[in-house]
Amino acid sequence: MINLKVVSPQKVIFEKEVEMAVLPGAEGDFAAMPNHSPFISSLRPGQMVIMSANKVDESFFVSGGLVMLKEKVCEVLVDQIESLSDVNSSNYQQSKTFQELEGNETALGTFEQVLNNPPYK
Amino acid sequence: MPNLKELKNRISSVKSTRKITSAMKMVAASKLRRAQELAESSRVYADSLSFILSSLAGNTKNSSDLPEILTGRENSKISLLIINSSDRGLCGGFNSNLFRNAKNWISEQQERGKSVKIITVGKKASSFYKKTDLDVIANFDDLNSNDKQLQVSEEIKNKIMELFENNEIDEVSILFNKFVSVITQEPTYQSLIPLSNEEADEEVTDTSNAVFEFEPDKNELLEYLVPRNFLTQIYRSVLESSASEHAARMTSMDNATRNAGDMIDGLTLTYNRTRQAFITKELIEIISGAEAV
Repeated sequence: MINLKVVSPQKVIFEKEVEMAVLPGAEGDFAAMPNHSPFISSLRPGQMVIMSANKVDESFFVSGGLVMLKEKVCEVLVDQIESLSDVNSSNYQQSKTFQELEGNETALGTFEQVLNNPPYK
Repeated sequence: MPNLKELKNRISSVKSTRKITSAMKMVAASKLRRAQELAESSRVYADSLSFILSSLAGNTKNSSDLPEILTGRENSKISLLIINSSDRGLCGGFNSNLFRNAKNWISEQQERGKSVKIITVGKKASSFYKKTDLDVIANFDDLNSNDKQLQVSEEIKNKIMELFENNEIDEVSILFNKFVSVITQEPTYQSLIPLSNEEADEEVTDTSNAVFEFEPDKNELLEYLVPRNFLTQIYRSVLESSASEHAARMTSMDNATRNAGDMIDGLTLTYNRTRQAFITKELIEIISGAEAV
């Protein structure tokens, strides 16, 4: 199990033990698992998923940020994050993230794309 | 002998002052709780970010490879100081402590042959530095909501990035009251350009057991990280300062309430004594009048 800690500039969003987390790295998606080599990467807008036993447990949209991966810890510094269990393709325009992403076309485009057709299901 | 009516007025005015100060204390206490939470929860992000930044910087052996905005310029001539004050008064020595501290710092810089520019945050600092002959380049105030605090931090960040690129400043520091506890707030300096060494030193022990790989390459990461780090550090200082402000206001209003209470006690005592004296005097007058008949 790896300790996944998701932090925004305002607060710690959650911290928990997960089996695997897939993150949208700047140069491609990667999975954070225990004993990964120490690694720092920036994130592109995309989908972050928490998985166990090859199934998606939880799914999030992140608008960008940074990730620091150590042996047993994965710290994700996000700009904005939205749990995809709360929003779907019909109500996303009311979500706070959608409004905050206004003007940021790449992130907004990815948000819509992830909602309508998530890479991980 | 003091006038009874005057005393009565005095007592009632001190009483209403006490009402105000105790209400302000209560308001400050409830705002403090929220501000403190915000300040504490923002620390996690800020700490992680500066950790990443310093491991990135520490990882680059040759410091000349790093951009100037991290290491600072050689022969720096112009320092910029960002002063975080409050918008309102009635918070004890909160602002005056800060300004006294800033004055020392500024004269220290000037002795070293640097010129100093200032950005003020909060109405108190802007009105204070208007009266001095220092070079104030920008004022930011009305930081009454969290969104506004973030927005102001963003504006300051853009401002210093722009000034640095135009060679108008060589160094940047922030001065703010660090929230230590409800009764102590400490004026603290933090250097933004060059990146303060303090964290880099801690880093040495940490990086020894973890050498990070970076993706995309370091320079691209730095390009993303540097502005973000400025923003977070500024935002954090604003939050710390606001928590300190409420704490300072709470303690000073608590003192004021207590002092007003003492004053009311004293005044009530004099009032009662005077009233007693009047009665005695009147009695004496009546009795001696009756005796004379």
